[in-house]
Amino acid sequence: MTADLILFFGLAAVAIGAALGMLLSKNAVYSALFLILNFATVAVFFLLLGAPFIAMAQVAVYAGAIMVLFLFVIMLLGAEQLLTSHKSGWQRPIAILLTLVLLVESIYLIFGRGRLLSQVAPVASDYASPEAIGELLFSRYLLPFEVTSILLLVAMVGVIVLIKKPKANN
Amino acid sequence: MFGSITTDMVLAILPEIALLVLIAVVFVTDLVVDEKRRGILAWTSIIGLLITMLLTAFFAQPGAEAETLWGGMLRHDWLAYVSKLIFLFGALITTVFTLNWDSVRFKGEFYVLLLTSTLGMTLMGASADLIMLFLSIETTSIPLYVLAGFLTDDDRSTEAGFKYLLFGAMTTAVMLYGFSLLYGFAGSTGLYEISAAIGAGQIPAAALAGAAVLVLVGFGFKVAMAPLHFWAPDVYEGAPTPITAFLSTASKAAGFVVLTRVMIAAFSSVQAEWQLMLAIAAVISMTLGNLVALSQTNIKRLLAYSSIAHAGYALLGVIAASELGAASVVYYFLVYVVTNMAAFGVVIVVSRVIGSDEIADYAGLSRRSPGLALVMLLAFLSLAGIPPLGGFIAKVLVFAAAVQAEFVWLAVIGVLNAIIGLYYYLIVLKVVYLTPGKDEQKALPTPRPQAVALVVSIVLLLLMGTVFAPWYQWALNSASALF
Amino acid sequence: MVPVSYYLALAAILFALGALGVLIRRNAIIIFMSIELMLNAANLLFVAFARSFESLDGQIYVFFVIAVAAAEVAVGLALIVTIFRTKHSIDIDELSSMKG
Repeated sequence: MTADLILFFGLAAVAIGAALGMLLSKNAVYSALFLILNFATVAVFFLLLGAPFIAMAQVAVYAGAIMVLFLFVIMLLGAEQLLTSHKSGWQRPIAILLTLVLLVESIYLIFGRGRLLSQVAPVASDYASPEAIGELLFSRYLLPFEVTSILLLVAMVGVIVLIKKPKANN
Repeated sequence: MFGSITTDMVLAILPEIALLVLIAVVFVTDLVVDEKRRGILAWTSIIGLLITMLLTAFFAQPGAEAETLWGGMLRHDWLAYVSKLIFLFGALITTVFTLNWDSVRFKGEFYVLLLTSTLGMTLMGASADLIMLFLSIETTSIPLYVLAGFLTDDDRSTEAGFKYLLFGAMTTAVMLYGFSLLYGFAGSTGLYEISAAIGAGQIPAAALAGAAVLVLVGFGFKVAMAPLHFWAPDVYEGAPTPITAFLSTASKAAGFVVLTRVMIAAFSSVQAEWQLMLAIAAVISMTLGNLVALSQTNIKRLLAYSSIAHAGYALLGVIAASELGAASVVYYFLVYVVTNMAAFGVVIVVSRVIGSDEIADYAGLSRRSPGLALVMLLAFLSLAGIPPLGGFIAKVLVFAAAVQAEFVWLAVIGVLNAIIGLYYYLIVLKVVYLTPGKDEQKALPTPRPQAVALVVSIVLLLLMGTVFAPWYQWALNSASALF
Repeated sequence: MVPVSYYLALAAILFALGALGVLIRRNAIIIFMSIELMLNAANLLFVAFARSFESLDGQIYVFFVIAVAAAEVAVGLALIVTIFRTKHSIDIDELSSMKG
């Protein structure tokens, strides 16, 4: 077994373990922390797959900004320990069954594709450099890039509308 | 990749540019005008949307050949053109319906969100790339989540917003996974390149059908078809009524445009499989929508279940996967948007005055406001598919498309459902016209702008039912852009 | 090098765990986190495919997904806070003031 594979399986075990931890934690703060761990390992996978720019974005935006927002809201609401009120018993077995079906199906679908089992060739050293990504974003993907800016602006407006307390006089 | 921006490219996104300018204008007006005079915000949006519609209609018309522009992101074809006009019309009428509604009409944010959502829809109508498609769907949905929960002091509104967001985010995640598989099968994100790549490669049909299921989860949520309809009644009931109208018309139409384009363009090699899946969804949507609608006492919930049933009818056109089928879907939504806008318009005007959405409170409406009752009569009869209204032609077209594609059994189920549907529409009309009400002497005035919007909708509805040719030509042009 | 299909299997497992979380947990915030996990699985898939095709489209896709996720999370958490203000609960089973 090569070092590559050992690294992959080690990280994969961490990623899956963290995902399970998020699912099963009773405390929402632990869930959020497990999810951050999961995002960090996925960022390492991105690096291994030759995507340094995306890996950095993942750490900065996902693990950094988004998860901090989650933690902030959990603590703001004091929602760490809000437990399930009444567990609907029939839902759980069905959910697990559905998930297993989904899992088996997707793994079958993926391994049904022989070509992908082959090893990938090493890519050129400037593959996915920030320059290459930036050039694509401002040429071929210019329009989606501009749309993203509108989307982020409007999300900001939306959040302010929702959170702002109504004025006392009306 | 493209070198420089050409006139064609600018003209293709003219509606989006106009909307963006309008959004900026509304933002700035909101800032500089003092609180008492903010009523002009709604009028600014209305005039801006009218100008946008005119600009789109006259300058953004595509040529005979469909073009793919902006590095493959957008398709400039008749389907995009017609659907953009439908969405802009929906946004325009929605805005008119907010005019006398004090809790939103002084808030610039409301109009900014509504216009951005419309911007997302116009992009959805033209998307030719998975990236653009995902972004435009989210640009449509995220403002709608906020709009559904806009009345923060009303429990039911925030609950509606949250439910919409939760189911929306879930289905989007599933859809995105489907997109990623599709990208993996084809090696490209362009819808039209995907179909070519899949045709050439050896992708197992089961794998592709699996990706189709995941993608359909996302689209099914947007169009509120069974079994992904469960959010619709609660969200429709809780959301502010103009937003409900917008959700059930423009947003649903946008979902159908995308559904038709993606299924026909990218999944042509597993056509039999997705036809079967959609056929099952259509049967459940029609039957469940109509049967549950029978027992509703709230008019907004009734219209929610009716809109689920209508998603089922329109699916027949998609399932046909033919030129007639696609044309029938476009015709269906030309009619459906206008009809449902008229129906919701009456609901909005009535609930402003009587403060209730219960069907029982509509008793005696025909004496209090004969005009509103007449609009309701025409809109409901069109929804039920009675000639000579637009709804009749639309239903005939989708059933004909199903029969032509040898789905006779689906057309039969559709016709049976149309009969069940007729029953509950007539029950409401019976309450409106025959049941004696409490305040029959008190007139129920319709504000002038709303009256104009209702009259325009009804005139269009009659035109679509009688002067058939020009609308059908639009629908045919749109359909031929797909094949 | 690790075969790309290993990454795909890992993404499938993460996606399934996310879906499981959405189905079995009743806490709205945890459900929301599970949705993020599902998006992340899709992202992993995109980057792995981009590597196997040696094209950048998949990576650009992930860039946009991250931006959209940020917007969606912001709006979603704002709605959760609004709901919590009135109901003092974020258990999705308690969101049922409408019936029919």
